[in-house]
Amino acid sequence: MSIKLTTQAYCKMLLHAAKYPHCAVNGLLVAEKQKEKKKDSHSTPILCVDCIPLFHGTLALAPMLEVALTLIDTWCKENKYVIAGYYQANERTKDFRPNQVAEKVGARIAENFSEAAMIMVDSTRFTMGCYEPILAIYDHHENKWKCRDCNADCFEDWCEAQKITSALLEGRSYESLIDFDNHLDDLRNDWTNPEINKSVLHLC
Amino acid sequence: MLYESMSFLYYLNPEKYKLRKWREDNHRNSEQIVDVGEELINEHASKLGDDIWIIYEQVMIAALDCSRDDLAWTCLQELKKQFPGSQRVKRLAGMRLEALEKYEDASKQYDSILQDDPTNTAARKRKISILKAQGKSAEAIRELNEYLEQFVGDQEAWHELSELYINEHDYGKAAFCLEELMMTNPHNHLYCEQYAEVKYTQGGLENLELSRKYFAQALKLNNGNMRALFGLYMSASHIAASPKVNATVKKANVKYAAWATNQINRAYQLAGRGTKENKCSVKAVEEMLESMQITMS
Repeated sequence: MSIKLTTQAYCKMLLHAAKYPHCAVNGLLVAEKQKEKKKDSHSTPILCVDCIPLFHGTLALAPMLEVALTLIDTWCKENKYVIAGYYQANERTKDFRPNQVAEKVGARIAENFSEAAMIMVDSTRFTMGCYEPILAIYDHHENKWKCRDCNADCFEDWCEAQKITSALLEGRSYESLIDFDNHLDDLRNDWTNPEINKSVLHLC
Repeated sequence: MLYESMSFLYYLNPEKYKLRKWREDNHRNSEQIVDVGEELINEHASKLGDDIWIIYEQVMIAALDCSRDDLAWTCLQELKKQFPGSQRVKRLAGMRLEALEKYEDASKQYDSILQDDPTNTAARKRKISILKAQGKSAEAIRELNEYLEQFVGDQEAWHELSELYINEHDYGKAAFCLEELMMTNPHNHLYCEQYAEVKYTQGGLENLELSRKYFAQALKLNNGNMRALFGLYMSASHIAASPKVNATVKKANVKYAAWATNQINRAYQLAGRGTKENKCSVKAVEEMLESMQITMS
Protein backbone atom coordinates (compact mmCIF):
# COMPACT_ATOMS: atom_id res chain seq x y z
CA MET A 1 0.00 0.00 0.00
CA SER A 2 2.95 2.30 0.43
CA ILE A 3 5.03 3.95 -2.23
CA LYS A 4 8.76 3.95 -2.68
CA LEU A 5 10.84 6.41 -4.66
CA THR A 6 13.68 5.83 -7.07
CA THR A 7 16.66 8.14 -7.12
CA GLN A 8 15.49 9.74 -10.34
CA ALA A 9 12.07 10.59 -8.91
CA TYR A 10 13.48 12.05 -5.67
CA CYS A 11 16.19 13.95 -7.47
CA LYS A 12 13.96 15.75 -9.92
CA MET A 13 11.52 16.70 -7.16
CA LEU A 14 14.26 18.39 -5.18
CA LEU A 15 15.83 19.98 -8.24
CA HIS A 16 12.45 21.51 -9.07
CA ALA A 17 12.13 22.98 -5.58
CA ALA A 18 15.74 24.22 -5.77
CA LYS A 19 15.21 25.92 -9.12
CA TYR A 20 12.38 28.07 -7.72
CA PRO A 21 13.20 28.66 -4.06
CA HIS A 22 10.91 31.68 -3.91
CA CYS A 23 7.87 29.94 -5.41
CA ALA A 24 5.49 27.14 -4.65
CA VAL A 25 6.16 24.19 -6.96
CA ASN A 26 4.25 21.02 -7.72
CA GLY A 27 4.42 17.96 -9.90
CA LEU A 28 3.43 14.36 -10.46
CA LEU A 29 5.01 11.02 -9.70
CA VAL A 30 4.61 8.07 -12.02
CA ALA A 31 4.95 4.35 -11.43
CA GLU A 32 5.18 1.40 -13.76
CA LYS A 33 1.82 -0.12 -14.48
CA GLN A 34 1.40 -3.46 -12.69
CA LYS A 35 0.70 -6.24 -15.16
CA GLU A 36 -1.81 -8.04 -12.95
CA LYS A 37 -3.12 -7.52 -9.48
CA LYS A 38 -1.36 -10.04 -7.27
CA LYS A 39 -3.27 -11.57 -4.40
CA ASP A 40 -1.00 -10.08 -1.79
CA SER A 41 -0.53 -6.81 -3.62
CA HIS A 42 -0.57 -4.79 -0.43
CA SER A 43 2.76 -6.18 0.59
CA THR A 44 4.59 -5.01 -2.51
CA PRO A 45 5.18 -1.29 -2.39
CA ILE A 46 4.55 0.80 -5.48
CA LEU A 47 7.78 2.11 -6.98
CA CYS A 48 7.61 5.66 -8.29
CA VAL A 49 10.16 5.61 -11.05
CA ASP A 50 9.92 9.13 -12.34
CA CYS A 51 8.76 12.62 -11.52
CA ILE A 52 7.16 15.19 -13.83
CA PRO A 53 7.62 18.75 -12.54
CA LEU A 54 4.49 20.76 -13.31
CA PHE A 55 4.23 24.36 -12.20
CA HIS A 56 5.88 27.06 -10.18
CA GLY A 57 4.29 30.18 -8.72
CA THR A 58 0.51 30.23 -8.69
CA LEU A 59 -0.73 26.67 -8.33
CA ALA A 60 -4.40 27.30 -7.70
CA LEU A 61 -5.64 27.78 -11.27
CA ALA A 62 -7.42 24.98 -13.12
CA PRO A 63 -7.00 25.12 -16.90
CA MET A 64 -3.27 24.42 -17.32
CA LEU A 65 -3.41 21.80 -14.58
CA GLU A 66 -6.14 19.99 -16.52
CA VAL A 67 -4.08 20.19 -19.70
CA ALA A 68 -1.02 18.83 -17.92
CA LEU A 69 -2.91 15.98 -16.24
CA THR A 70 -4.53 14.92 -19.52
CA LEU A 71 -1.33 15.19 -21.55
CA ILE A 72 0.76 13.35 -18.99
CA ASP A 73 -1.92 10.68 -18.63
CA THR A 74 -1.68 10.06 -22.38
CA TRP A 75 2.11 9.94 -22.21
CA CYS A 76 1.85 7.50 -19.30
CA LYS A 77 -0.39 5.15 -21.26
CA GLU A 78 2.17 5.04 -24.07
CA ASN A 79 5.00 4.27 -21.67
CA LYS A 80 3.03 1.81 -19.51
CA TYR A 81 3.16 4.17 -16.55
CA VAL A 82 0.40 5.29 -14.26
CA ILE A 83 0.16 8.58 -12.34
CA ALA A 84 0.77 7.42 -8.79
CA GLY A 85 1.41 10.54 -6.78
CA TYR A 86 1.54 14.30 -6.44
CA TYR A 87 4.15 16.48 -4.77
CA GLN A 88 4.09 20.07 -3.66
CA ALA A 89 6.47 22.48 -1.98
CA ASN A 90 4.76 25.58 -0.59
CA GLU A 91 5.93 29.14 -1.14
CA ARG A 92 6.73 29.76 2.52
CA THR A 93 9.55 27.58 3.86
CA LYS A 94 7.89 26.99 7.19
CA ASP A 95 4.60 25.96 5.64
CA PHE A 96 4.68 22.29 4.79
CA ARG A 97 1.11 21.26 5.38
CA PRO A 98 -0.99 20.14 2.43
CA ASN A 99 -3.43 22.84 1.32
CA GLN A 100 -6.60 22.76 -0.73
CA VAL A 101 -4.75 22.47 -4.04
CA ALA A 102 -2.72 19.48 -2.85
CA GLU A 103 -5.80 17.73 -1.47
CA LYS A 104 -7.83 18.34 -4.63
CA VAL A 105 -5.18 17.12 -7.03
CA GLY A 106 -4.33 14.24 -4.73
CA ALA A 107 -7.97 13.19 -4.59
CA ARG A 108 -8.26 13.39 -8.37
CA ILE A 109 -5.24 11.11 -8.79
CA ALA A 110 -6.58 8.74 -6.13
CA GLU A 111 -9.77 8.35 -8.23
CA ASN A 112 -7.72 6.64 -10.90
CA PHE A 113 -5.15 5.01 -8.66
CA SER A 114 -6.31 3.94 -5.23
CA GLU A 115 -2.82 3.75 -3.71
CA ALA A 116 -1.95 7.30 -4.74
CA ALA A 117 0.31 9.26 -2.42
CA MET A 118 0.57 12.96 -1.74
CA ILE A 119 4.01 14.26 -0.90
CA MET A 120 4.85 17.55 0.74
CA VAL A 121 8.43 18.80 0.65
CA ASP A 122 9.77 20.17 3.93
CA SER A 123 11.94 23.05 2.82
CA THR A 124 13.18 23.83 6.33
CA ARG A 125 15.35 20.73 6.17
CA PHE A 126 16.47 21.21 2.58
CA THR A 127 20.27 21.25 2.43
CA MET A 128 22.88 20.78 -0.27
CA GLY A 129 24.11 17.67 1.50
CA CYS A 130 20.65 16.03 1.52
CA TYR A 131 21.57 14.10 4.64
CA GLU A 132 18.00 13.17 5.44
CA PRO A 133 14.86 12.65 3.40
CA ILE A 134 12.82 15.86 3.56
CA LEU A 135 9.44 14.54 2.50
CA ALA A 136 6.18 13.98 4.30
CA ILE A 137 4.19 11.24 2.58
CA TYR A 138 0.42 11.16 2.87
CA ASP A 139 -1.69 8.12 2.03
CA HIS A 140 -5.38 8.28 1.15
CA HIS A 141 -7.52 6.41 3.68
CA GLU A 142 -11.30 6.78 3.83
CA ASN A 143 -11.30 10.17 2.16
CA LYS A 144 -8.66 11.55 4.47
CA TRP A 145 -4.95 12.04 4.01
CA LYS A 146 -2.84 10.43 6.69
CA CYS A 147 0.79 11.33 7.17
CA ARG A 148 3.35 8.55 7.19
CA ASP A 149 6.89 8.73 8.51
CA CYS A 150 9.41 9.15 5.72
CA ASN A 151 12.74 7.48 6.25
CA ALA A 152 15.28 5.53 4.23
CA ASP A 153 12.74 2.72 3.77
CA CYS A 154 10.70 4.93 1.48
CA PHE A 155 13.45 4.83 -1.11
CA GLU A 156 14.63 2.16 -3.48
CA ASP A 157 18.18 3.04 -2.43
CA TRP A 158 18.48 5.95 -0.01
CA CYS A 159 22.29 6.12 -0.07
CA GLU A 160 22.28 6.41 -3.83
CA ALA A 161 19.45 8.97 -3.77
CA GLN A 162 21.28 11.06 -1.20
CA LYS A 163 24.60 10.97 -3.02
CA ILE A 164 23.24 11.73 -6.47
CA THR A 165 20.77 14.42 -5.43
CA SER A 166 23.50 16.20 -3.50
CA ALA A 167 25.89 15.99 -6.46
CA LEU A 168 23.32 17.40 -8.88
CA LEU A 169 22.44 20.23 -6.49
CA GLU A 170 26.11 21.16 -6.14
CA GLY A 171 26.48 21.09 -9.90
CA ARG A 172 23.43 23.37 -10.25
CA SER A 173 21.61 20.91 -12.51
CA TYR A 174 18.38 22.54 -11.46
CA GLU A 175 19.17 25.40 -13.83
CA SER A 176 18.37 23.11 -16.73
CA LEU A 177 15.36 21.38 -15.17
CA ILE A 178 12.21 21.81 -17.28
CA ASP A 179 8.76 21.91 -15.76
CA PHE A 180 5.42 22.05 -17.55
CA ASP A 181 5.34 25.85 -17.16
CA ASN A 182 8.66 26.07 -19.02
CA HIS A 183 7.19 23.80 -21.69
CA LEU A 184 4.20 26.11 -22.14
CA ASP A 185 6.60 29.04 -22.50
CA ASP A 186 8.47 27.21 -25.26
CA LEU A 187 7.21 23.89 -26.62
CA ARG A 188 10.74 22.75 -27.38
CA ASN A 189 11.40 22.49 -23.64
CA ASP A 190 11.03 18.82 -22.79
CA TRP A 191 9.26 18.11 -19.49
CA THR A 192 10.56 14.54 -19.45
CA ASN A 193 14.02 16.02 -18.75
CA PRO A 194 16.08 13.48 -20.71
CA GLU A 195 19.37 15.24 -19.99
CA ILE A 196 18.87 15.16 -16.25
CA ASN A 197 17.78 11.51 -16.46
CA LYS A 198 21.06 10.81 -18.23
CA SER A 199 23.03 12.63 -15.52
CA VAL A 200 21.33 10.55 -12.85
CA LEU A 201 22.12 7.30 -14.66
CA HIS A 202 25.67 8.46 -15.27
CA LEU A 203 26.24 8.99 -11.56
CA CYS A 204 24.69 5.67 -10.52
CA MET B 1 21.36 54.72 -31.55
CA LEU B 2 20.17 52.70 -28.62
CA TYR B 3 21.17 49.40 -30.21
CA GLU B 4 24.57 50.82 -31.13
CA SER B 5 25.30 51.89 -27.61
CA MET B 6 23.98 48.59 -26.17
CA SER B 7 26.24 46.45 -28.36
CA PHE B 8 29.12 48.79 -27.67
CA LEU B 9 28.49 48.34 -23.95
CA TYR B 10 28.37 44.58 -24.39
CA TYR B 11 31.65 44.57 -26.27
CA LEU B 12 33.31 46.68 -23.61
CA ASN B 13 31.95 44.86 -20.64
CA PRO B 14 29.59 41.94 -21.17
CA GLU B 15 29.09 41.36 -17.44
CA LYS B 16 27.87 44.88 -16.86
CA TYR B 17 25.52 44.57 -19.82
CA LYS B 18 24.10 41.29 -18.50
CA LEU B 19 23.40 42.84 -15.10
CA ARG B 20 21.66 45.76 -16.74
CA LYS B 21 19.51 43.48 -18.89
CA TRP B 22 18.49 41.44 -15.84
CA ARG B 23 17.67 44.66 -13.98
CA GLU B 24 15.51 45.94 -16.81
CA ASP B 25 13.70 42.62 -17.22
CA ASN B 26 13.30 42.27 -13.45
CA HIS B 27 14.69 38.75 -13.52
CA ARG B 28 14.98 36.94 -10.22
CA ASN B 29 18.00 34.87 -11.30
CA SER B 30 19.73 35.67 -8.03
CA GLU B 31 22.46 33.04 -8.17
CA GLN B 32 23.64 34.28 -11.55
CA ILE B 33 23.48 37.91 -10.43
CA VAL B 34 25.60 37.05 -7.39
CA ASP B 35 28.13 35.15 -9.54
CA VAL B 36 28.51 37.91 -12.11
CA GLY B 37 28.06 40.83 -9.74
CA GLU B 38 30.45 39.64 -7.03
CA GLU B 39 33.26 39.23 -9.54
CA LEU B 40 32.52 42.59 -11.11
CA ILE B 41 32.58 44.36 -7.76
CA ASN B 42 35.72 42.62 -6.53
CA GLU B 43 37.80 42.77 -9.70
CA HIS B 44 36.55 45.68 -11.76
CA ALA B 45 35.07 48.21 -9.36
CA SER B 46 37.20 51.04 -10.67
CA LYS B 47 35.99 50.56 -14.25
CA LEU B 48 32.30 50.73 -13.37
CA GLY B 49 32.01 54.44 -12.75
CA ASP B 50 28.74 55.62 -11.33
CA ASP B 51 27.03 52.39 -12.33
CA ILE B 52 28.64 50.73 -9.35
CA TRP B 53 25.96 52.04 -6.96
CA ILE B 54 23.02 50.53 -8.80
CA ILE B 55 25.02 47.35 -9.18
CA TYR B 56 25.64 47.26 -5.42
CA GLU B 57 21.89 47.53 -4.90
CA GLN B 58 21.11 44.79 -7.43
CA VAL B 59 23.77 42.44 -6.09
CA MET B 60 22.73 43.09 -2.50
CA ILE B 61 19.15 42.05 -3.15
CA ALA B 62 20.31 38.97 -5.05
CA ALA B 63 22.71 38.13 -2.22
CA LEU B 64 19.81 38.23 0.26
CA ASP B 65 17.97 35.77 -1.98
CA CYS B 66 20.95 33.41 -1.84
CA SER B 67 21.55 33.72 1.94
CA ARG B 68 24.86 35.46 1.22
CA ASP B 69 24.67 37.85 4.16
CA ASP B 70 28.41 38.51 3.92
CA LEU B 71 28.06 39.90 0.41
CA ALA B 72 24.80 41.73 1.21
CA TRP B 73 26.46 43.39 4.21
CA THR B 74 29.43 44.55 2.11
CA CYS B 75 27.18 46.09 -0.53
CA LEU B 76 25.02 47.75 2.11
CA GLN B 77 28.05 49.33 3.82
CA GLU B 78 29.31 50.78 0.55
CA LEU B 79 25.87 52.23 -0.19
CA LYS B 80 25.54 53.64 3.33
CA LYS B 81 28.91 55.36 3.00
CA GLN B 82 28.04 56.88 -0.36
CA PHE B 83 24.42 57.84 0.40
CA PRO B 84 24.15 58.58 4.12
CA GLY B 85 20.59 59.14 5.28
CA SER B 86 19.08 57.88 2.03
CA GLN B 87 15.56 56.39 2.28
CA ARG B 88 16.36 54.02 -0.54
CA VAL B 89 19.35 52.62 1.35
CA LYS B 90 17.27 52.45 4.53
CA ARG B 91 14.80 50.26 2.67
CA LEU B 92 17.66 47.94 1.65
CA ALA B 93 18.72 47.71 5.29
CA GLY B 94 15.13 46.77 6.08
CA MET B 95 15.17 44.05 3.43
CA ARG B 96 18.29 42.59 4.99
CA LEU B 97 16.49 42.41 8.34
CA GLU B 98 13.61 40.66 6.60
CA ALA B 99 16.01 38.13 5.11
CA LEU B 100 17.31 37.46 8.62
CA GLU B 101 13.64 37.03 9.68
CA LYS B 102 13.95 39.97 12.09
CA TYR B 103 10.50 41.14 11.08
CA GLU B 104 9.88 43.49 13.99
CA ASP B 105 13.14 45.34 13.42
CA ALA B 106 12.46 45.49 9.69
CA SER B 107 8.99 46.86 10.33
CA LYS B 108 10.42 49.57 12.60
CA GLN B 109 12.87 50.48 9.87
CA TYR B 110 10.06 50.94 7.38
CA ASP B 111 7.97 52.86 9.90
CA SER B 112 10.82 55.33 10.35
CA ILE B 113 10.97 55.85 6.58
CA LEU B 114 7.22 56.43 6.52
CA GLN B 115 7.45 58.92 9.37
CA ASP B 116 9.76 61.08 7.26
CA ASP B 117 7.90 60.39 4.05
CA PRO B 118 4.34 59.01 4.35
CA THR B 119 4.09 58.63 0.58
CA ASN B 120 7.03 56.24 0.35
CA THR B 121 5.37 53.38 -1.52
CA ALA B 122 8.40 51.08 -1.34
CA ALA B 123 8.34 51.02 2.46
CA ARG B 124 4.60 50.38 2.55
CA LYS B 125 4.95 47.48 0.14
CA ARG B 126 7.77 45.96 2.17
CA LYS B 127 5.52 46.03 5.24
CA ILE B 128 2.92 44.11 3.28
CA SER B 129 5.62 41.64 2.17
CA ILE B 130 6.42 41.01 5.83
CA LEU B 131 2.80 40.06 6.46
CA LYS B 132 2.97 37.72 3.49
CA ALA B 133 6.20 36.14 4.73
CA GLN B 134 4.60 35.54 8.11
CA GLY B 135 1.67 33.79 6.47
CA LYS B 136 -0.76 36.52 7.51
CA SER B 137 -2.62 36.47 4.19
CA ALA B 138 -5.84 38.09 5.39
CA GLU B 139 -3.94 41.05 6.86
CA ALA B 140 -1.72 41.34 3.80
CA ILE B 141 -4.83 41.47 1.62
CA ARG B 142 -6.43 44.09 3.83
CA GLU B 143 -3.32 46.31 3.88
CA LEU B 144 -2.83 45.94 0.14
CA ASN B 145 -6.43 46.95 -0.50
CA GLU B 146 -5.91 50.06 1.65
CA TYR B 147 -2.70 50.81 -0.20
CA LEU B 148 -4.46 50.55 -3.55
CA GLU B 149 -7.17 52.98 -2.47
CA GLN B 150 -4.43 55.57 -2.26
CA PHE B 151 -2.16 54.40 -5.07
CA VAL B 152 -4.73 53.20 -7.56
CA GLY B 153 -2.28 53.16 -10.48
CA ASP B 154 0.26 50.78 -8.98
CA GLN B 155 0.14 47.81 -11.35
CA GLU B 156 2.63 45.70 -9.47
CA ALA B 157 0.36 46.02 -6.43
CA TRP B 158 -2.79 45.04 -8.35
CA HIS B 159 -1.00 41.99 -9.67
CA GLU B 160 0.28 41.02 -6.24
CA LEU B 161 -3.26 41.37 -4.87
CA SER B 162 -4.66 39.16 -7.63
CA GLU B 163 -2.14 36.46 -6.68
CA LEU B 164 -2.99 36.73 -2.99
CA TYR B 165 -6.69 36.30 -3.82
CA ILE B 166 -5.99 33.33 -6.09
CA ASN B 167 -4.05 31.62 -3.30
CA GLU B 168 -7.04 32.15 -1.02
CA HIS B 169 -9.29 30.72 -3.76
CA ASP B 170 -11.22 34.02 -3.90
CA TYR B 171 -11.42 33.98 -7.69
CA GLY B 172 -14.07 36.68 -7.95
CA LYS B 173 -11.86 39.27 -6.29
CA ALA B 174 -8.80 38.06 -8.22
CA ALA B 175 -10.76 38.64 -11.42
CA PHE B 176 -11.55 42.18 -10.31
CA CYS B 177 -7.85 42.95 -9.88
CA LEU B 178 -7.05 41.54 -13.30
CA GLU B 179 -9.88 43.62 -14.79
CA GLU B 180 -8.16 46.73 -13.44
CA LEU B 181 -4.91 45.61 -15.06
CA MET B 182 -6.57 44.85 -18.38
CA MET B 183 -8.24 48.27 -18.42
CA THR B 184 -4.94 50.07 -18.03
CA ASN B 185 -2.98 47.62 -20.21
CA PRO B 186 -5.36 46.61 -23.01
CA HIS B 187 -2.55 45.22 -25.15
CA ASN B 188 -1.05 42.97 -22.51
CA HIS B 189 -1.83 39.39 -23.55
CA LEU B 190 -0.64 37.97 -20.22
CA TYR B 191 -3.28 39.79 -18.19
CA CYS B 192 -6.01 38.63 -20.62
CA GLU B 193 -4.82 35.09 -20.38
CA GLN B 194 -4.58 35.12 -16.59
CA TYR B 195 -8.07 36.63 -16.34
CA ALA B 196 -9.36 33.84 -18.57
CA GLU B 197 -7.70 31.24 -16.30
CA VAL B 198 -9.33 32.74 -13.23
CA LYS B 199 -12.76 32.77 -14.87
CA TYR B 200 -12.32 29.16 -15.99
CA THR B 201 -11.38 28.16 -12.45
CA GLN B 202 -14.41 29.96 -11.05
CA GLY B 203 -16.53 27.63 -13.14
CA GLY B 204 -20.10 27.72 -14.37
CA LEU B 205 -21.26 28.17 -17.94
CA GLU B 206 -21.19 31.98 -17.93
CA ASN B 207 -17.63 32.09 -16.60
CA LEU B 208 -16.53 29.44 -19.09
CA GLU B 209 -17.87 31.53 -21.96
CA LEU B 210 -16.11 34.61 -20.62
CA SER B 211 -12.90 32.63 -20.24
CA ARG B 212 -13.14 31.44 -23.83
CA LYS B 213 -13.57 35.02 -25.03
CA TYR B 214 -10.55 36.21 -23.09
CA PHE B 215 -8.36 33.29 -24.15
CA ALA B 216 -9.28 34.26 -27.69
CA GLN B 217 -8.46 37.89 -26.99
CA ALA B 218 -5.07 36.93 -25.55
CA LEU B 219 -4.38 34.94 -28.71
CA LYS B 220 -5.32 37.91 -30.86
CA LEU B 221 -2.80 39.99 -28.95
CA ASN B 222 -0.13 37.29 -29.13
CA ASN B 223 -0.71 34.25 -31.29
CA GLY B 224 2.27 32.50 -29.73
CA ASN B 225 0.67 32.30 -26.28
CA MET B 226 0.30 28.51 -25.82
CA ARG B 227 -1.60 28.86 -22.56
CA ALA B 228 -4.22 30.94 -24.35
CA LEU B 229 -4.43 28.37 -27.14
CA PHE B 230 -4.84 25.44 -24.78
CA GLY B 231 -7.26 27.49 -22.71
CA LEU B 232 -9.37 28.25 -25.76
CA TYR B 233 -9.47 24.55 -26.59
CA MET B 234 -10.40 23.52 -23.04
CA SER B 235 -13.08 26.16 -22.51
CA ALA B 236 -14.70 25.64 -25.92
CA SER B 237 -14.67 21.85 -25.38
CA HIS B 238 -16.31 22.13 -21.97
CA ILE B 239 -18.99 24.51 -23.28
CA ALA B 240 -19.74 22.22 -26.22
CA ALA B 241 -20.04 19.26 -23.85
CA SER B 242 -22.38 21.08 -21.47
CA PRO B 243 -26.00 19.85 -21.44
CA LYS B 244 -27.16 23.42 -20.82
CA VAL B 245 -26.25 24.86 -24.23
CA ASN B 246 -28.44 24.85 -27.31
CA ALA B 247 -27.41 23.34 -30.62
CA THR B 248 -26.17 26.61 -32.13
CA VAL B 249 -23.85 27.37 -29.24
CA LYS B 250 -22.64 23.79 -29.21
CA LYS B 251 -21.87 23.89 -32.92
CA ALA B 252 -19.97 27.17 -32.60
CA ASN B 253 -17.85 25.89 -29.73
CA VAL B 254 -17.10 22.64 -31.52
CA LYS B 255 -15.75 24.82 -34.34
CA TYR B 256 -13.61 26.89 -31.95
CA ALA B 257 -12.25 23.73 -30.32
CA ALA B 258 -11.47 22.18 -33.69
CA TRP B 259 -9.64 25.31 -34.80
CA ALA B 260 -7.64 25.33 -31.57
CA THR B 261 -6.81 21.64 -32.04
CA ASN B 262 -5.35 22.40 -35.44
CA GLN B 263 -3.29 25.26 -34.12
CA ILE B 264 -2.01 23.20 -31.20
CA ASN B 265 -1.01 20.37 -33.51
CA ARG B 266 0.77 22.80 -35.81
CA ALA B 267 2.61 24.38 -32.91
CA TYR B 268 3.81 20.98 -31.71
CA GLN B 269 4.83 19.90 -35.20
CA LEU B 270 6.88 23.05 -35.55
CA ALA B 271 8.49 22.59 -32.16
CA GLY B 272 9.08 18.88 -32.62
CA ARG B 273 11.16 19.13 -35.73
CA GLY B 274 14.44 17.37 -35.31
CA THR B 275 14.24 16.14 -31.76
CA LYS B 276 13.42 12.52 -31.07
CA GLU B 277 12.04 13.25 -27.61
CA ASN B 278 9.59 15.83 -28.85
CA LYS B 279 8.03 13.39 -31.32
CA CYS B 280 6.64 11.70 -28.23
CA SER B 281 5.11 14.99 -27.09
CA VAL B 282 3.51 15.54 -30.48
CA LYS B 283 1.94 12.09 -30.39
CA ALA B 284 0.76 12.56 -26.82
CA VAL B 285 -0.93 15.84 -27.71
CA GLU B 286 -2.66 14.32 -30.73
CA GLU B 287 -4.01 11.47 -28.67
CA MET B 288 -5.06 13.77 -25.86
CA LEU B 289 -7.02 15.98 -28.24
CA GLU B 290 -8.61 12.96 -29.88
CA SER B 291 -9.72 11.47 -26.60
CA MET B 292 -11.20 14.76 -25.47
CA GLN B 293 -13.14 15.13 -28.69
CA ILE B 294 -14.72 11.76 -28.05
CA THR B 295 -15.95 12.79 -24.61
CA MET B 296 -17.12 16.11 -26.05
CA SER B 297 -19.44 14.61 -28.63
